[in-house]
Amino acid sequence: MDDHGTSSDDAFDPADSLRVIREQTDRAREATEPDGRVMFGAWGLAWLVGYLAMWTSARETGAPEPWAGFVLAGTIVGATALTIVHSTTRASGVRGASARVGAMYGWTWFLGFTVYGMVLGAMFRAGASWEVVATAANGFACLIVGLMYIAGGLLFGEIRMYAVGAWMLVTAAVAAFAGMPHTYLVMALAGGGGFLVMVVVEQVIRARRRGLAPAGPPATSPPATGGGSSD
Amino acid sequence: MTEDLDPVIHAPARLRVVATLAALARGDEVAFPRLRKLLDMTAGNLSTHLRKLEDAGYVRVTKTHEGRVPATYLALTDRGRAAFAEYQTALTNLLKGAGHE
Repeated sequence: MDDHGTSSDDAFDPADSLRVIREQTDRAREATEPDGRVMFGAWGLAWLVGYLAMWTSARETGAPEPWAGFVLAGTIVGATALTIVHSTTRASGVRGASARVGAMYGWTWFLGFTVYGMVLGAMFRAGASWEVVATAANGFACLIVGLMYIAGGLLFGEIRMYAVGAWMLVTAAVAAFAGMPHTYLVMALAGGGGFLVMVVVEQVIRARRRGLAPAGPPATSPPATGGGSSD
Repeated sequence: MTEDLDPVIHAPARLRVVATLAALARGDEVAFPRLRKLLDMTAGNLSTHLRKLEDAGYVRVTKTHEGRVPATYLALTDRGRAAFAEYQTALTNLLKGAGHE
């Protein structure tokens, strides 16, 4: 049986200890926390493709065609599914305080967008034109996303989430004033583009962290890949 | 020199176990199979080290049932967290050469 840990208890250098701690901490965080590149990438692509479809079809006919609505719905459902699968896979086997907070956070998204749909429906019923409803749909979507990202930033101590949230609030205002059909272009480029910029930011941070990794004896195991060891 | 370091933590395999548990948020615990995967250890080997850590009061072992399947969850105790923090301080001092006061 493999029992290397107990037999070599004494022959263990302090410098090795520090390296082991750093590597294992990085590895554990990397494996159990969601990957920002996956999350931002999925939502960036969903918004870019979905809202570009809306814009393209609205530009030709004045109002978005049903096919564009289906494309947008499809990309949003896809990104939602990927988010749920990715974050629950990463958190599997871990339970306690953070799992409870994470579940409440997830349900808040669901509640927020359910009510969002109902309010839009009520506006339509009260006689709002489709143009008013479409303006509200884009503005409120960005508003909810912005506030939820800000909440996430506060909750998980993630400054990058907070920054994306603030950016989405700006996008909400610009999209609302852009008018038809350009509001969709703002959603695609500022909204989707904003998420995609964060993929690059995440990647750069990882590369930098790997570059700064431990001075010390040459690593005997594969280098740890980035991940939240700075705090 | 190294005798100043907590012998319960200062062993490669147990150090990795403690570092992994310390990476979890306070108030979280991890299932045995997941911990095993995070460490690439055999079940027997991991159990042995966990028992030593539990005996020292550093690790809390919670046995429970998920449906009808028994499950074991592990977490660092407050004492374990404190011991790990102390160990890291001692290690840093040792490497700075400040360990001889």
